[in-house]
Amino acid sequence: MSNATKELLFKMADDALIIGHRNSEWTGIGPMLEEDLAFSSMAQDKVGHAQALYNILHESFGEAEPDKLGFMRSESDFKCCRFVEQPIGEYDFSIVRQFLFDHAEFIRYDLLTQSSFTPLALLAKKVKGEIKYHVLHGDTFFKQLAQGTEESKARMQSALRDAWHLALGIFEKSEFEGELIAQGIFVGEDELRNRWLAKVTAIVEAAGLQVPDTNESKIELGGRRGYHSEYLKPLLDEMTEVVRLDVNAEW
Amino acid sequence: MYGSTNLTEEEAKRMNTIEEDPEKLEAFEARIARGEKIEPQDWMPAEYRKQLIRMIEQHAHSEIVGALPEGTWITRAPNFRRKLALIAKVQDEVGHGQLLYSAAETLGKTREQMLNDLMSGKSKYSNIFNYPAVTWADIAVIGFLVDGAAIVNQTINSKGSYGPYCRALERICYEESFHLKQGHDNVVYLATGSKIQRDMLQAAINRWYRPLLHFFGPPDKMSAHSEKLMKWKVKLASNDEMRNQFLDMYVPKILELGLTFPDPNLRKNNEGIWEFSDPDWDEFKRVINGDGPCNKERLAVRRYAEEAGRWVRQALMNPKDKYQVPLA
Amino acid sequence: MNSLDPRVNRLDVSKTMEGELLTNSHLITWEVFHQDKRGKQVVHCGIVHANTPEMALILAKEQYARRGKTTNLWVAKTSDVYTFNSEDEDIFETTPEKVFRDPGYYKVRDRIEKYQQQNKINV
Repeated sequence: MSNATKELLFKMADDALIIGHRNSEWTGIGPMLEEDLAFSSMAQDKVGHAQALYNILHESFGEAEPDKLGFMRSESDFKCCRFVEQPIGEYDFSIVRQFLFDHAEFIRYDLLTQSSFTPLALLAKKVKGEIKYHVLHGDTFFKQLAQGTEESKARMQSALRDAWHLALGIFEKSEFEGELIAQGIFVGEDELRNRWLAKVTAIVEAAGLQVPDTNESKIELGGRRGYHSEYLKPLLDEMTEVVRLDVNAEW
Repeated sequence: MYGSTNLTEEEAKRMNTIEEDPEKLEAFEARIARGEKIEPQDWMPAEYRKQLIRMIEQHAHSEIVGALPEGTWITRAPNFRRKLALIAKVQDEVGHGQLLYSAAETLGKTREQMLNDLMSGKSKYSNIFNYPAVTWADIAVIGFLVDGAAIVNQTINSKGSYGPYCRALERICYEESFHLKQGHDNVVYLATGSKIQRDMLQAAINRWYRPLLHFFGPPDKMSAHSEKLMKWKVKLASNDEMRNQFLDMYVPKILELGLTFPDPNLRKNNEGIWEFSDPDWDEFKRVINGDGPCNKERLAVRRYAEEAGRWVRQALMNPKDKYQVPLA
Repeated sequence: MNSLDPRVNRLDVSKTMEGELLTNSHLITWEVFHQDKRGKQVVHCGIVHANTPEMALILAKEQYARRGKTTNLWVAKTSDVYTFNSEDEDIFETTPEKVFRDPGYYKVRDRIEKYQQQNKINV
């Protein structure tokens, strides 16, 4: 059971760290001051979730401390999906990514409040409100931009197309799916994906846009097994640039 | 400068000769003398309005431009604590910018006009942000010493006469105390850490020393005076007074870590006044007028952000909405 | 651009401003009110620029509820909030003098004690 749970924790933590890192890149250069603040807050929330999840790995499974897990592992040890690794691009991609990812995150954490693995259930209950806000933010921006000007409509549709097969990579299954479900730790990626698809489709169509057709062979898989896009290594190199100046120092 | 006013000789002369409605002026000045605040709807001399807008606007620009040198290291913070603190800190700077633009908006200048003036180079911002954050240790120095200098300025200005500005500053001062703490924390860890960390920090201190001296503006004997701005509680302390207060508070905190400043003449004399080598006011003038290491980059990034965000704002905007001056 | 900031190097900074920002391009203002605890008053705390009530609430959350306690926020368009004119502040001037409305104006202890003494009432 512990390997199944550990793997779940690692992939959730890595997703949160990498997308939090990406979203923090907008701090100071967002499209409007107030929105700059909102994106920054959500980035902090995600980085905070990562730290909390690494902490569970440390305390419940004897893994290294959060700082070591976050800042000292190699690329192939990371289990984030390729979606979160992508550069921030323009605001259309970042908003669509926030919208799609946070719906998955909300459903995942909601389901985990019932997990038989208590530390995770407790964390899920604690951060539910934060993720609810992220979904509210994503929905509001997505809808308004999808129904704004001709340009914003076109951009949202196009970003949705670019993001779609990357987003589906969130639900890449692990070898431990059966165990997670059987032990009541988590209901599994298939269930998550189905619920996500229903929720997101409803919102996209209500906003007057189209959900792209899913081509299973195009889904960007590999992240969960440590096979990443070309973007993760440079991201990790940048993220660890200072700590690698002196790995034994206390920063 | 950063929330203070440095007038040209000409402006000072003109201000001292402008005539306003004498009765209204008397009531206005009496109110200020009583320690009461001026609120947005009050009658106020045109010059008061103009100087306040300029000062608050400059302060707002300083906040959002100041987010850029610190943002330089946001993606490279070395652990969770530093990463979270730095994102939060830079976020606060943007938030302060928002609060200050809002205060200036109550005086009748729109946010768009202010941003236009920033991007065209017409409005200035604090000169210190035209310098680069070369290493991670620069972030520690900025977080501790530059924020420390800003707090000296802000604390003094929060006793000023204009209600909305004072309210914004109270909120800002409260948040700045977090910045100072986390900045000092960062400095201490570097100073008491490995040789690599300590050397990096000392190099950063050496780099920022002169810009910090420049921060409060030219010495009093070089600045044009306006008794009127003091009377109207727009300017509340002299540049020299504020600079001295800053040195008094922060020099010992660096020295107590066994670090040094690159100035053999830096010392407190018997009258309690800090003396220092001439920090080259020509350099200050050159940099504030566009010839600093980062001026072009700061404005280029600002213009990029506005342009890249244009389609977003256009999509959100409701063309039927009418402009209204905010209330407080 | 050759910046020290790797984020800046990833931006297409050649994209410069085409013309100036027009009025309202940063949207209109909304007045924000904040309640820190249940049972307390909801108090004005500043403004946000936004287009709809939902957007105003979402953005106000970040600017005005980033620290400390918050139970709720209210927003109203600046144009929907009305005030007295500054010159009419004098209508409030004599209010503090109307002590007949204040509880502290009514003191009867002395009167009671005098009556008790005169009529030999012991309590």
